[in-house]
Amino acid sequence: MKELETAVVYRYGLLTRLSHWVWFVAFLVLVGSGLQIFNASPNLDASDKSDPARRVLAIGSPAAGVGTTTIFGHTFVTTNWLGWTGDGMGSRGPRAFGASIIIPGYQDLSGGRRWHLFFAWIAALCWLAWLVSSAVKGNLQQMILRRSDLSKLWPMQAYYLKLRKAPPPYDVYNPLQKAAYTTVLFVIAPLVVLTGLALSPGIDAIASPLTVAFGGRQFARLWHFAGMLVLIAFFAIHTFQVLTQGFANQMRSMITGWYRP
Amino acid sequence: MKRRLFIASGLSTLAGCGSVTAAMNQNASVQRVLASVERLNHALIGTRGLAREYDDRDVDANFRVNGFAAPSDARYGELLAEKFAGYRLVVDGAVERPNAFSLAQLSTMPQRTQITRHDCVEGWSAIGKWSGVALSHLLDRVGVRPGARYVLFRCMDNDGSGNLYYESLDLHQARHPQALLALRLNDAPLDPDHGAPLRLKVPTQLGYKSAKWIGRIELVGSFANIYGGRGGYWEDQGYEWYAGI
Repeated sequence: MKELETAVVYRYGLLTRLSHWVWFVAFLVLVGSGLQIFNASPNLDASDKSDPARRVLAIGSPAAGVGTTTIFGHTFVTTNWLGWTGDGMGSRGPRAFGASIIIPGYQDLSGGRRWHLFFAWIAALCWLAWLVSSAVKGNLQQMILRRSDLSKLWPMQAYYLKLRKAPPPYDVYNPLQKAAYTTVLFVIAPLVVLTGLALSPGIDAIASPLTVAFGGRQFARLWHFAGMLVLIAFFAIHTFQVLTQGFANQMRSMITGWYRP
Repeated sequence: MKRRLFIASGLSTLAGCGSVTAAMNQNASVQRVLASVERLNHALIGTRGLAREYDDRDVDANFRVNGFAAPSDARYGELLAEKFAGYRLVVDGAVERPNAFSLAQLSTMPQRTQITRHDCVEGWSAIGKWSGVALSHLLDRVGVRPGARYVLFRCMDNDGSGNLYYESLDLHQARHPQALLALRLNDAPLDPDHGAPLRLKVPTQLGYKSAKWIGRIELVGSFANIYGGRGGYWEDQGYEWYAGI
């Protein structure tokens, strides 16, 4: 028993754990409500105003019972997955993303906007609180990718791929973790916030250079969507790793703070 | 096994959100909490600055028509048939000099032209060249009385269930230099689908604020007792009154 107690370390402070779970909920709500909002106009254009000639993604239903997804002009049949999907009440119809993954779980643009704008504030304020607290406590140093970590990225990946027996030496987080956290928390998350703001007419009137910088309103909408895809990829890999690398230990550490290295 | 667990848990987490939030979305307290950020957004973003203005070459020749098509009721049909000769824009409520303006009178007022982007709440945008009378000019003509807080736009169309379309701006929004009572789109008089004979253009907010087919402008102290009490047709359906985001 004594041995066990000395084996665990206090790894995550209260604010880190709280932020983690707030982000988890906010992320699911923001993705679901974002897809609801996307459904109202299921196209993404690389332009300022809507422009079919610069359409990057279009999800639609050319005929009853058929859903299609067109990416850079190449059309794929995606019936039952995209374009022709469930309405949440037992039948299928023309709808980009299905009712089971949009928030709320039926077609409701105004409802989706309320969920989205509320949880956008929650996620952003949580990010700010976490950032300030981590900076004050000095924890940020452990997470941010540094120049000296760059040469360790491949050895770490090689270790994961079982091409190397031992990982390169590191302190708290390994170089790949640092790269992932730095990218998500300090590049993608701010970009998703800024692109979301850039597609709002009130913000465009105050800070049009922001909208212009992203290539215009529709382009900002495209970047916003692309940012979501990157965050989903992070979420999927992160969840996979938690499930495969000592699930109970990982969950305990993110709930109680105590981790067994 | 772990991989299967992962995929199953991922899918069920996502699928669960839809049904859970569908139930929560019907709850009035949940809605009040979610809607609380509208005031924050209004206070922080508000109506500041100017919407970007574009060049003639940016204009969409076929400006997208959305929402309701031209009103189908008999009165509108008669006005349209006589090319709006009998149309009068009634301006009343909390004003010093209530009036009813004909299209000819509106056309002789100082005209403003702006090429601005229309941002629809659905996510699409289009650019149009709008000409007409600055709303602030009209407000000065009739004189706003001290008790007035909102400018209410009563429209000539209904949604088919008898609910009249209406919208509102506060006086700060109404005094914005780009708040325009448009008579023309792309150098031609407005056609019925685009709001003939007169519509509002507020490029600093989402498109649903830019009401079409305006028949009457009323200055009011509050819109709490008008229709659904939320200051607009779409607002009564759950959309935000402040539509700058």
